[in-house]
Amino acid sequence: MPFTLAWASLRRHPTRTLLAMLGVAVSAALLLDMVMMSTGMRESFRTLLLSRGFQLRLAPKGTLPFDTDATMLNTREMVRILRANPDFNAVSPVLGGTLHFPRGDRVITASALGLDPAVQGDYELLAGRAPTRPDDIVVNNFLYSSLGARIGDTLRVATGYDPQTREYSGMRKLVLAGRIRFLYGAMHQRGAAMQLQTLQQMSPPEKADASSLMMIRIRDGVPMDSAIQWIKQRISTVNVISIEAALDQVDERLRYFRQLAAMLGSVSLFVGFLLVTTLVTISVNERIGEIAVMRAIGISRAHVVAQIVLEGVAISIIGAFAGLLLGLVTGRYLNSILSSFPGLPEAIDFFLWQPKSAWTALGLLALSGIAAGVYPSFRAASLPIATTLREEAIA
Amino acid sequence: MLSSLFLFFLLQQATPRTIAIDERLAADAHLKIGDRVYLSATPESRSPDTVIIGAILKRSNDPAEVARSEYRIHMHLDDLQSITAYGDRVDRYAVATPNEAATTRALTKINSAAFGFDAHRSKDIAIGTSKTFQVVSRFHKAIGVITIVASAIFLLCIMLLKVEERRRDVAALRLMGISRRTVMRAVVIEAALLALLGSAMGVGVGWIGSQFVNWYYRGVYRTPLAFSLITPSIVTLAVLLSLVLGISAGILASLRLVRTPPLVLFGR
Amino acid sequence: MSVVEARGLARNYSFGKEVVHALAGVSFDVAESDWVAIVGPSGCGKSTLLNLLGAIDRPTRGSVAINGTDVARMDDKQATSFRLRNIGFVFQRFYLMPTLSARENVELPMAEAGVGKSDRASRARELLTYVGLAHRERHRPSELSGGEQQRVAIARALANRPAILLADEPTGELDARTGSEIIGLFDRLNRDGTTLIVVTHDEDLASAARRKIHMRDGTIVDGAER
Repeated sequence: MPFTLAWASLRRHPTRTLLAMLGVAVSAALLLDMVMMSTGMRESFRTLLLSRGFQLRLAPKGTLPFDTDATMLNTREMVRILRANPDFNAVSPVLGGTLHFPRGDRVITASALGLDPAVQGDYELLAGRAPTRPDDIVVNNFLYSSLGARIGDTLRVATGYDPQTREYSGMRKLVLAGRIRFLYGAMHQRGAAMQLQTLQQMSPPEKADASSLMMIRIRDGVPMDSAIQWIKQRISTVNVISIEAALDQVDERLRYFRQLAAMLGSVSLFVGFLLVTTLVTISVNERIGEIAVMRAIGISRAHVVAQIVLEGVAISIIGAFAGLLLGLVTGRYLNSILSSFPGLPEAIDFFLWQPKSAWTALGLLALSGIAAGVYPSFRAASLPIATTLREEAIA
Repeated sequence: MLSSLFLFFLLQQATPRTIAIDERLAADAHLKIGDRVYLSATPESRSPDTVIIGAILKRSNDPAEVARSEYRIHMHLDDLQSITAYGDRVDRYAVATPNEAATTRALTKINSAAFGFDAHRSKDIAIGTSKTFQVVSRFHKAIGVITIVASAIFLLCIMLLKVEERRRDVAALRLMGISRRTVMRAVVIEAALLALLGSAMGVGVGWIGSQFVNWYYRGVYRTPLAFSLITPSIVTLAVLLSLVLGISAGILASLRLVRTPPLVLFGR
Repeated sequence: MSVVEARGLARNYSFGKEVVHALAGVSFDVAESDWVAIVGPSGCGKSTLLNLLGAIDRPTRGSVAINGTDVARMDDKQATSFRLRNIGFVFQRFYLMPTLSARENVELPMAEAGVGKSDRASRARELLTYVGLAHRERHRPSELSGGEQQRVAIARALANRPAILLADEPTGELDARTGSEIIGLFDRLNRDGTTLIVVTHDEDLASAARRKIHMRDGTIVDGAER
């Protein structure tokens, strides 16, 4: 019976009920988006970092990978030391640089990665083949269309360009072997990849044996800490970064968004709660006489409270479901805005859909719906019956 | 005289040059003016230069610097060129001009005379490098729109409830002969007053929130930058918007009420 | 045996320093199948007395026994449960649930008492037939006339076969013709064995009752003895 009475009560004022549900839906949408945002970045980044199975990264001391132009020297020696550890399945050194492509009277500039194609974790091949030969180069779609070249073409590529004298340094002819998609590439960023030694040879002498980053894949079951300790004992000039440490660093940089998510999520939950509690309170005040009569004819206080609380819960739950759908739409829109951050890997999502997020948002709203109805219902159910009936009769 | 010069030269060589470090580096590394430090381009360098801390710099209000955690030092140009083996090169020149017209003339002259590099207005570069903040700004605006929509619905719902609560009063007025227009006007004026009061409170809460946000993030990022600004135009926009929303909600709610026959409002 | 035994009932209300003695020591009995009308001027304590008999208010002093059970000392939960199964209420303003149909209104107390769905539906129909409204069972209160609403309210009051039916000005909101229909219904109920206690200003209703209790200034001036 409480369900019947609660539902009948909501249908009594359909406009009011619908508006309240709509208000809860918008609050729920924002709440869901904030829940998604609070965990989305971290999870999205974790998925990206683990996409090729490399759990450790080495960068120049005091830096994060590609945070600065700093490089690690004695790359060959470092790789030899690391590959000697049977616990390390793969070691992938990477050098970052800039390439210049003279095309007629213009110069196209792109970022470059020199790597070992056999153990690389930076790109996936879309067409053609990997740069298995020293003179091979692969490019991403953006650079591919900028160059106007085709797979198999020979390109003149330089690592240095002096715009004053219009002179190139480190010039070499490379064959366009394939098209790739960089996993960590930012939107609209031109990029290319080639063999590590090729880029080192094209670069100034100080980079002859340099690398910007090393990625390490650890055997299953090997504790992370012991692997990190092993490296630190043998190579003291590098930063050893585990996935968790990298995520913590990213979290720290994006702390603002997590805090914003927490704050806006709380505000939207509060607004939803306020809306439902206002509606339930006014609805109860309008029906004080009816409630007193229900008590007079023997309906227990618990059932009266249950009916009113159910009204609040119904508005919250129905509004929440509508809000979930709306939240997915607004989340995509907000994600598209934040994804245009310069330098952000295209693969990173700020708003990551996880069922857990939906349940969290739904659960919070259901709880707020319950809380919203509790006080007004208890107040109403506890009023002295005789006095209330007399006052209602007078009114 | 020659020996004096030589001695002077020797003395000059022996005296380390000075650098200026930013206040965060000074705080974190417990450095003060007069301290001697070693400086090199790479961690592996075997012959670092010795320099003296000559000054401590306050962080600038540059938003681009906010989230960057690296420290900054200022050195004499030739020292930096020497220590990094950069040679007689620089990355850019900054040119100050007396006025806008002079800037335009300088731009034209430089771009036509020099080859290999371009001259740009500083503000054009600022726009180009502030893409991060444009993204953040767009994001904030989108959130703002969503919250305004939620507020509008909330306001309409509350006005409906408030107006319906007094339907018997309205019924009595109508039965007495008070016109619909008068009733509507009363409701709309009430809604407008509520909206004004509410927006005044909101501005107050917003100002307090803004102070808190600035205090908190200035501490987190160790910067004098203001993260939140409440300007007269923002206040005006907020008040106007809430007024429009409030009045619209009042009109919609009162229309419902005055269109219902008074006896029906009484529940007969 | 008396269905209702009231002994020394008193009810005081405090308004700041002032104390109002709404009832000042009322005692009387009501036998099974009795029909008692409590009459008196406004403010004499009639409705207060009815509220105490119906266990929706607690006396300052005294006792009320319904079928031997003292309701005056019950806590809220006990009183609610007792009312549900033993007392039927009819109010001046009907107080039907506007969102429920006539049948659903009658079913409401039975649902609370845990009666099964089909049982309560058939009993509700039976009661609506008794009060002459079987053809209106699906109608909402807003679709019923005042007299029809009051008849539904009476059917609701009878839902759980109560020991007594209490009515507070049941014809107060009705015109004379409709009022007499309700009086006729009460008469039929009483002849069929229902114990009735009504509070009323309506002379016709008071005259139709088997016994009148006159009250003035919170006390019974006449009619306490059967």
